[in-house]
Amino acid sequence: MGVEHTGARGGRGARGRRRIAGRLPLALLLVALAAAWATGFYFLWQSDVPAGLELPEVEASELLGPEELEEARDYERFLRIDFVLAEVIVLVVFGLYARYGHRFVRESAAGRIGTGMLLAMLGFALLWLAQLPFGLAGLWWERRHDVSEQDYGTWILESWLGLGGAFLFVCLAILIVMGLAGPLPKHWWIPGGAVFVGLAALFAFVLPYMLPSQRPLRDAELLADADVFAREQGLEAAPPLHVQEVREFTTAPNALAVGLGPSRRVILWDTLLEGPFPDEEVRFVLAHELGHISREHIWKLVGWYALFAFPGAFLIARATRRRGGMREAEAVPLALFVLVGLSFLALPLQNAFGRHLEAEADWIALETTRDPEAARALFRRFGTTALADPSPPTWSYLLMETHPPLADRTAMVEAWEARRGGG
Amino acid sequence: MERHPIRVVVEDDLDRSRLTVFFRLLLAIPHLIWLLLWSIGAFVAAVVSWFATLALGRSPQALHGFLAAYVRYATHVYAYLSLAANPFPGFTGDAGSYPVDVEIDPPARQSRWKTGFRIFLVIPALILANALTGGPGGGGGGGARGDGGEADAATWFDFSGGGVLVLVAFLAWFVCLARGRMPLGFRDFQTYALRYGAQTCGYLLLLTDRYPSSDPAALPASPPPQPQTIRIAVDDDLRRSRLTVLFRLLLFLPHLVWFLLWSIAAFFAVIVGWFVTLAAGRMLVGLHRFLAAYIRYGTHISAYLFIVANPFPGFTGTEGTYPVDLEVDPPARQSRWITLFRIFLAIPTALIAGGLGAVLVVVGVFGWFVGLVTGRMPEGLRNLGVYAVRYSAQAHGYAYLLTDRYPYTGPWEWSTPGPAEDAEPEVAAA
Repeated sequence: MGVEHTGARGGRGARGRRRIAGRLPLALLLVALAAAWATGFYFLWQSDVPAGLELPEVEASELLGPEELEEARDYERFLRIDFVLAEVIVLVVFGLYARYGHRFVRESAAGRIGTGMLLAMLGFALLWLAQLPFGLAGLWWERRHDVSEQDYGTWILESWLGLGGAFLFVCLAILIVMGLAGPLPKHWWIPGGAVFVGLAALFAFVLPYMLPSQRPLRDAELLADADVFAREQGLEAAPPLHVQEVREFTTAPNALAVGLGPSRRVILWDTLLEGPFPDEEVRFVLAHELGHISREHIWKLVGWYALFAFPGAFLIARATRRRGGMREAEAVPLALFVLVGLSFLALPLQNAFGRHLEAEADWIALETTRDPEAARALFRRFGTTALADPSPPTWSYLLMETHPPLADRTAMVEAWEARRGGG
Repeated sequence: MERHPIRVVVEDDLDRSRLTVFFRLLLAIPHLIWLLLWSIGAFVAAVVSWFATLALGRSPQALHGFLAAYVRYATHVYAYLSLAANPFPGFTGDAGSYPVDVEIDPPARQSRWKTGFRIFLVIPALILANALTGGPGGGGGGGARGDGGEADAATWFDFSGGGVLVLVAFLAWFVCLARGRMPLGFRDFQTYALRYGAQTCGYLLLLTDRYPSSDPAALPASPPPQPQTIRIAVDDDLRRSRLTVLFRLLLFLPHLVWFLLWSIAAFFAVIVGWFVTLAAGRMLVGLHRFLAAYIRYGTHISAYLFIVANPFPGFTGTEGTYPVDLEVDPPARQSRWITLFRIFLAIPTALIAGGLGAVLVVVGVFGWFVGLVTGRMPEGLRNLGVYAVRYSAQAHGYAYLLTDRYPYTGPWEWSTPGPAEDAEPEVAAA
């Protein structure tokens, strides 16, 4: 008996050692992947903003008058509630859809991939229906505050057409995932992640050509400034500058740096060029957008997407196993739920990265224009024209703010001045 | 199903006099003038009948007889004009006096609600009648405006253009002149369109409160003289998912993209196929299979888009995978002459397919509303959609060299049709 005991213990020990030995390569692989992820994160997080830059405290009341501040806060409060409710609806709709969505399989005569496409499209269709009231409420609020001038019918039509675009995109995604999950039921996420990163880069490349109502900028002075700024930032020449006509729909000012390689361009909204912004403030915006381009922020965003695409695809593959994996159409509703859940969880990190890039672009713009007064005035004007709250609550900062709050941006201007004065 | 109170009866031998066909439009002028005058009287009678029916619950016998004669006469005239019949019609609209005639039941009780709102209820039927015939009873450009509303500028039956009936009549004019006979399919389509027009007009003029039936299967039309090599098969239970109906247009988008890509390949395949068929006298098996799958896929997605079928179709055009399916015979010998001139010979079929395409859009729009509200597609509307889809598939099959058999225009239907509305045959001779 005792011998038997000893033998059994010895056998279990040997099996345990074999199991550990068997899992060792997997553990090493995971460690290597984690190290690669951390390395990627480290390099993407590198910034021209000096490390350890101390930002002084800037009160919201220093930027806006009491009435303006109240109006901005009141305006954003409603939009925050609208955002939270809409996010809750997303999770609820996809949660319910993950539970019951597989019933729509009977509405398809297509094969597994076609049926998967249908289920994915229906999921987004239900979401669109559920979010419609929140979107309309947001539009009503923006119209009420003269931020938007779009009428409800046009908004619904555009939203509906946007849903059509989403359908096409989601069909392509399902085609890739389920196409790969056929021959690679457990490991589709590896090539799948790579394909999605490639698609993200492709999308970033073609985006400049897809934005409507653009025309080349004709302002000779601004074009000359752009060339000077670009060279100061290390670019050979300024990328093409375009104006997007949005005045018909909104009064909010904005500018974008979009594209990769030959498709790179800076787009300035006509609400910025033809609005209440003096030339020096427009020049600061221009330098900011060129900062995005000179520091390859679009590529960084693609890289950042890659950091999440692979783990995300892996988690989806794991979560859908009990529904037969992504090879089966029935798994699609659950996959959607996992996807939006992960996106929600990753939102604070995504926003943090966005703010990080924007802060770097602000710093580059300050270094290029050396005009802190223009920057300070610009941020103040953002508060009055776009009704931006200079210091939003923390939860809103984490979940909603893709740019640093105006108070932080102004603080950076002061830090830059102090540093320059000190130097 | 209970038979419709307004029915078209056909006793036509398809023979046509070339002389009267050549001058048909001019010969019809006295009838058009008389019809215009009669239409004024019919308008007044319809207004009186509306009040009377609303009060009494049924149309007065005298008014009913007058309006029934008007509908009958108008059908005679448009059957003559559209070459659906040969002899010159009388001016009185007597029952049983013409090869394409209308049987109208005596006045019966009518729902006062349906009578009160008739002017609105008739609008969908008028739209469909306009797509089929160009106007209720067989005309175009305006047609009837309603029994309580403004009078039409010309007649209740206006033949000024538009509608598949006019298109078929135009094509039939050439055929009749050349052959002295009306093609069976053409005649059957004309009688179907005239029947729908007559039922719509009868509904508008308060001859009945039964809604017009758009079901081509309700008229047991003659089978095609030769078996078709491209056939439609229907296995649809009429149930519709409200959610997929609501988003049908957007759900169609991935299919549209795929179909456009496939169309590029099909275009080159047809060019290759044309040379091969011209040289060898038959299509290559592989090319035939490829093009058959392409046209079948087009049939599936058309049926889906226009609510003729419910489930989301597959992307491969595989036979037997969809409730509205296409059966295509294997490649057979084809006449080299027909192949050589195929592109020209296909023009009339393309015109008719285009006209029926407009009808299909109307079917889709109405089907969308009805499907969204009731979760079902009306059988008549579905069958009309199937008919349009079938003709389009046959026209494409002909143009794309799958067969040299000309598409059949008649509403003779598919291999597993739904139950016909009328049990008794209405086509006495063909």
